Amino acid sequence: MKKGLLLVMVLLITFSMSAQLFAGGQQEAEDDGITILFMPGVADPFYYMMEKGIREKGAELGVNIIVAEFPKAWGPEVQVPILEATVAQGGIDMILIAPTAIDALISPLKKLYDQGIEIITVDTFLGNGDYSVDSDYSFPLSYIGSDNEKGGREMAAHLAEMVGEKGKVYINSTNPDVSSVMGRVKGFKEGLEAFPDMELVGIDYNMDVQQKATDQTLGALQKDPDIVGIFGTNLYSSQGAYQAVVNAGLSGAVKLATWDASVDIINALKKGQIDLCLAQKPYEIGSLAVEWGYKFLSAGTKIPAKVIPGFEFFNEGNVNDPEMDKFIYK
Amino acid sequence: MQSLMTQKNKDLLLKIGKQWAVIFFVAEIIFFGLTAKGFFTVNVFQIVLFFGTAVMLMAVAELFVIITGGIDLSVGYVMGLSTIIATKLIVYFSASGMPEFWGIFFGIIITLVLGLIPGLINGLLVSRLNVPPFIATFSMLGISHGVSELLLTEGAAKNLPHLANVIGNGHFLYFVKGGGFSFFARPEVARGVKVFELFPNVVVITLIIVAIFAFVLSKTVFGIHTYAIGGNEDSAIRSGINVKNHITKIYMLSSLLASSAGVIYMLKYVTGKADAGASLLLDSIAAVVIGGACLTGGKGTVWRTILGAVIIAVLETGLRILGIPTFDKYIMVGVILILAVLIDRVFPETTYKE
Repeated sequence: MKKGLLLVMVLLITFSMSAQLFAGGQQEAEDDGITILFMPGVADPFYYMMEKGIREKGAELGVNIIVAEFPKAWGPEVQVPILEATVAQGGIDMILIAPTAIDALISPLKKLYDQGIEIITVDTFLGNGDYSVDSDYSFPLSYIGSDNEKGGREMAAHLAEMVGEKGKVYINSTNPDVSSVMGRVKGFKEGLEAFPDMELVGIDYNMDVQQKATDQTLGALQKDPDIVGIFGTNLYSSQGAYQAVVNAGLSGAVKLATWDASVDIINALKKGQIDLCLAQKPYEIGSLAVEWGYKFLSAGTKIPAKVIPGFEFFNEGNVNDPEMDKFIYK
Repeated sequence: MQSLMTQKNKDLLLKIGKQWAVIFFVAEIIFFGLTAKGFFTVNVFQIVLFFGTAVMLMAVAELFVIITGGIDLSVGYVMGLSTIIATKLIVYFSASGMPEFWGIFFGIIITLVLGLIPGLINGLLVSRLNVPPFIATFSMLGISHGVSELLLTEGAAKNLPHLANVIGNGHFLYFVKGGGFSFFARPEVARGVKVFELFPNVVVITLIIVAIFAFVLSKTVFGIHTYAIGGNEDSAIRSGINVKNHITKIYMLSSLLASSAGVIYMLKYVTGKADAGASLLLDSIAAVVIGGACLTGGKGTVWRTILGAVIIAVLETGLRILGIPTFDKYIMVGVILILAVLIDRVFPETTYKE
């Protein structure tokens, strides 16, 4: 019996070996157009918006776009298996990826890079995000995404202005291992330093679980009932924190600054439950990534190591402005 | 004549019943081979094994416990705890000036030793204090999760030396067409030159561990006693087996395997995460059942359990290549599980011990 099983295994391996050689030849033969794979970070409106930008630019330039399965949760153990299985189809020239960890994605992506596939990181990056200096992680062509630290600083200034430049503030963030949100936190802290009467009383990490963000924010409000401002560093943090403020009956008394303009957040802003919202430009990030990728692959144009689209701020004053509508993630 | 035919048919049916998992496995491979582009390659085969390592180790852990008629619900979070302990230890060692390799080595050894503790507690609770395994290990699940979160409050478990990532994602053998072989290190070739990467390190390590435990279960007195206890505990006691000690050892072995899954996760993803193995508990129990073991104890083999784990891993990877959301995997694993139990009912003679 065991021998039979072993025989089946050996046969399969031999068969697949020969199949690989065969597939290898076939792959090169049919490889005529440019194929770009988009590997999103997690299933959320931000990346759906980016996908839209990528698909539309791809259609415009005649690039084949493959979009990998959207990971259900944020983390390399979810993202890497999807990435590897999708790349295994073959024929991919470039990967646009939002790495879900600054270190864990280095080896898997380096392996694909060594096979000849080009890498651009979008929204998040590897290492410290500086690909212009030679290092273990400097192989991607470019980082295309927001300057999170700058956004954090601007956010701090806007929030300070709203609360009269004094009082306690609290941050709800997602994951200390993710470059983008950590940049926002860092920038926000730096931004606060300009206001000596403002104090940061706490920071929690909800690991991308909205319910946890709500619980954590409620806890922070219990500990420091005189918090005047809250900064939520992404969609989950913002929506969770917003729910906590509503549950605690503090809408209006606590100013809520959020990152990312989902439809829910914008609706809350229209109702006056949220006070400030920074919108990144995921559509533009996606569109730029395909455009630069296409230029590089077709003409060898050098891509800048960083491509940074700006931000838009939504507040009570401009939220109904039709000009701003295109910045909402939907 | 008539009765002979039916007897023959019955035998054939019985044979198919016995081997249904193998048949299902082959059918699955053929299906994905025909439908999923690029599925039928060494690369994908290795991807399946690479991402299946954690489930394989935890399924073997679960198998030993299940043969004795128990269950270990704590494996997932013990694995998570181990990822954090290993990461923190190695980061500490390298920060205190130990060479990267030795920091990783000692970090792993200490993690594995500490990994025996949850099992010891589980085992003592089950064997000495007659706590039902479900409750004892369920409590340990909570405790491991709590301790993990506690360890993380001082800071995330990350910043492992790059060597860990290199080991975790490296291969045993590299082969360049016309360029020869090299072991462990990827040969320096121009970018884009096809390098065949064979036997991922973590798969080799996992298969060695699995082979050791397959040997222990099928060829040693320890294995015979394990089956004996699962078959009939009273007669095992009467025949002079120290059942209490044996059951304690079984739970220790289970949590040791869970922590080795944690160590492998740490090498692959260079992070420690409390919920690293949380979602794998169900897969590992499913692998054991698909492999023909019976939750009431007394039967099951390591290699069939591994087959069960591979069936699940193939399903997952195949669906991914087809671009089908993996929610569907849960439904399919559920269906296969029910199928496994039904076949077990229809063919009660399919008891096998090899």
